[in-house]
Amino acid sequence: MTEAGSQLSESTGRRTNTGAGRVLVAIYGIFALAATARASVQLITRYEEAPLAYLLSAVAGLIYIVATITLARGTRTSRRVALVAIIIELVGVVTVGTLSIVDPAAFPRATVWSVYGIGYGFVPLLLPILGLAWLWRTRPSAP
Amino acid sequence: MIDALAYGVIALAGIAVIWGVVTAIANKPPGKAQLLYAAGLEAVTVVQSIIAVAKIVGGFRPVELATTIGYLIGIMILLPIAWFWANVERNRFSGIILAVAAFAVLAMTLRLIMLWTPAG
Repeated sequence: MTEAGSQLSESTGRRTNTGAGRVLVAIYGIFALAATARASVQLITRYEEAPLAYLLSAVAGLIYIVATITLARGTRTSRRVALVAIIIELVGVVTVGTLSIVDPAAFPRATVWSVYGIGYGFVPLLLPILGLAWLWRTRPSAP
Repeated sequence: MIDALAYGVIALAGIAVIWGVVTAIANKPPGKAQLLYAAGLEAVTVVQSIIAVAKIVGGFRPVELATTIGYLIGIMILLPIAWFWANVERNRFSGIILAVAAFAVLAMTLRLIMLWTPAG
């Protein structure tokens, strides 16, 4: 239990950046790096091949960056931002995952979220679920 | 890339993954030997990236040049960041963080071996 540096009265809830939350931040960080790097390479070298898929990769990268930073900060405001980012992430991976199976023509090139993140061991599908579960577990209790 | 070195990195990273999980199960933070081992793994990873970049500079052209270079650079920053992150709060989860980073190094090296095919 680390309460050090907690300027907010969060004794009722736990900060998102301690304990198991640090592992979550580490995994988010790796995906932030992977998705952003992948999108950068795709957008710079062959944007015209599949603009939609590549822009989605970039959006995914951005969401991972936001989730990583906000979960790592663990303040009251940052957990709200993290919640929004992770919900968008979940909607994104489910939508893109489903579309990439139903209409593969729309996604001629793979993104992190294609087929629910099959290229990354389905971790992209698991990650937002873990993220939401963690935010729920560390929620501040009602006053 | 040198195949033997790449498979060496994979084996060393695999041990780091197991080690991290073992200390987490034992409910201990990573010890000195484990942290030194992670540093050693990082050193071998850096050597691998330097050799690979040297080969690219020397004229080798993998099919996915930009992706390959991205992997060769990205793979070097994982363990230092994980090392820092694991040591901010030292407990069982520190070992898991090191294991996650080592697993990423392992997976990226496997991918690099696949990417390392000459273009055209």
